[in-house]
Amino acid sequence: MRRLAIRLEAPAGRVFAWTVMALAFLFLYAPMMVIAGASLNGSAHGAIVFPPSELTLARYAAIPASQYRAIWISLELAMIAALVSVLIGVPAALGLVRGTLPGKAVVAAIFRAPLQIPAVVLGITFLQLSYAVGDALNLDLAGSFTALAIGHCVIATPYVIGTVTAILQRFDSRLEEAALSLGASPWRVFRRVTVPVIMPGLYAGALYAFMVSFSDVPVSIFLASPDASPYPVEIFSGLEQDFDPSILASATLVIVFCFALMLVVQRVVGLETLLRTGGSGRR
Amino acid sequence: MSRLSGFAFRIIMVAALAVAAIGAARAEERYDGVTLRVATFGGPWRDLLDKQLSPRFAALGGKLEFVTGSPQANFAKLVAGRGRAPFDVVELLDAQVPDYDQGKYLAPIDLTKIPNKQYLEPYQYNDKMVASWLTQEALCYNTEKFKQLGLAPLTTYKDLAQPALAGHVMIPDINSGGGLAAFGGFAIAAGGSEANFMPGVEVIKSIKGVKFWTQGDQVTLAFQSGDIYAAAAHAGWCLRTKNAGVPVQSVHPVIKPGVVGVAKQGWLGIIATSKNIAASHWFIDQYLEAETQLAVALDEGVVPVNRLAIAKLGEDATLAQMLQLTPELISHELRIDYSKANISDWIDAWNRMISR
Repeated sequence: MRRLAIRLEAPAGRVFAWTVMALAFLFLYAPMMVIAGASLNGSAHGAIVFPPSELTLARYAAIPASQYRAIWISLELAMIAALVSVLIGVPAALGLVRGTLPGKAVVAAIFRAPLQIPAVVLGITFLQLSYAVGDALNLDLAGSFTALAIGHCVIATPYVIGTVTAILQRFDSRLEEAALSLGASPWRVFRRVTVPVIMPGLYAGALYAFMVSFSDVPVSIFLASPDASPYPVEIFSGLEQDFDPSILASATLVIVFCFALMLVVQRVVGLETLLRTGGSGRR
Repeated sequence: MSRLSGFAFRIIMVAALAVAAIGAARAEERYDGVTLRVATFGGPWRDLLDKQLSPRFAALGGKLEFVTGSPQANFAKLVAGRGRAPFDVVELLDAQVPDYDQGKYLAPIDLTKIPNKQYLEPYQYNDKMVASWLTQEALCYNTEKFKQLGLAPLTTYKDLAQPALAGHVMIPDINSGGGLAAFGGFAIAAGGSEANFMPGVEVIKSIKGVKFWTQGDQVTLAFQSGDIYAAAAHAGWCLRTKNAGVPVQSVHPVIKPGVVGVAKQGWLGIIATSKNIAASHWFIDQYLEAETQLAVALDEGVVPVNRLAIAKLGEDATLAQMLQLTPELISHELRIDYSKANISDWIDAWNRMISR
């Protein structure tokens, strides 16, 4: 490993490293660059044209209100999913790591199940469930925002459980013991010692939960309704019969928003630290 | 004579009053507080229906809402809900008709409440469904390129296998919008049938270097880049390609004597569990109204089913050149009988022998 590092420090090695990095970036970002570039194309017909033949912002002006509404619904859903999954995921992770309940492995597998079951199956199941629960409680759950939000919380929660569990497993419990021995109450220990240590995992899990919810199609497509159709469903169903070039413009806005969000999260929370420490929480 | 005239006069008066009464009843029919949910395609399609029909329904006191998704996704919702669905009216495709029949998912339609059906052909409505539009699954070719290559215009699917076109032909993937219709068209044009699709598979396999499209837009792009010279695609996409500046022409493939072109039919049905049966009939009727039909056709590249709208479209020289725009021509297009087809077998054969 050290030998490789030395080789990469040589001029030729640096060129090689930069080339590989540039190619990796190109591979990752090329689709987004095509979308953003094509969104600026002004030719009359609606195809994806990259590089753009004539530059214009006309497609941004033509974004229909339904797409803005869908973006807003997606944001609402993603925020609810992130928040609820943290509220459920943190106690669940604590219980899984520190609890002494029998069959912990089975419980852990159940928590992971939403990651392993195909999302389409989950979507169909949720639709059936919303009919069943709606019948039992005399509610109109199917095709409601509530059902959609519940579905998103279920697919998002395992990510929080996973990241928090990973940190808790490497948690040095002597920190809590020290705080307790110095007279802190269990609640204070949790608030002042445990939470700060698991915070990077919590943020990372919440971010994953947000992203999973924001980009979900398979579950949402079954649970969406006219009042609550998330952005990916709006785009997906819009592409099936026709191609509306305003989709390129709204998708570019979403990409820019996601980049901005990542930058803010990185600045405020320090995801780089999380990546460097492998989620151990040490800064 | 005068007695007869008097009798005739009374008859006419009674009839006129009856018509006026029916008209008044229709005019007074209101849908206050009714929210009618329609499962349809998303994006511009939904926006157009919303623009065309929502104000009319709002004027009668109701509210239209659109549940967007592919016909397949909407059917899956219906199955998952065991016949219940978060919509009252559904847009379905001809390939789904047997599934809807089998599941008894549709309510009977009272055709007397669909006055606009008078502008449809009898085969375009029944007691469960009313046709709403169709696409003409055609062949599209670059006329200049064909001239350069010295090729005669395409006439049927087999022509796509000409050696001069090797590597420059695109056909729909079976899972794409027109995939099933094209696959069935290939089979029947090659002497097969819905049940015996192998002749069609052989024709497709004989097209050297064939490419597949999953979104119609890919056809336009491939023609624009010069990557393809011919394609099987619905005539609406060929028209869009022409509008994008590519010299293309659509040809409706000869299937067998007396059958030219392949139609993919869109239908409207009312969900059996709907509580808004009257409003659903109103929606279907308004969908068939000439103005709506024309708007959908012009915006979405489909062919209307309303005779008046077809005639209006036929007045446009370019459209008349690209599409089959008379009720007679339309009635002679191939309509695949999906009740005789095992779609799983079709897809299986496609995956094993074509797309691999």
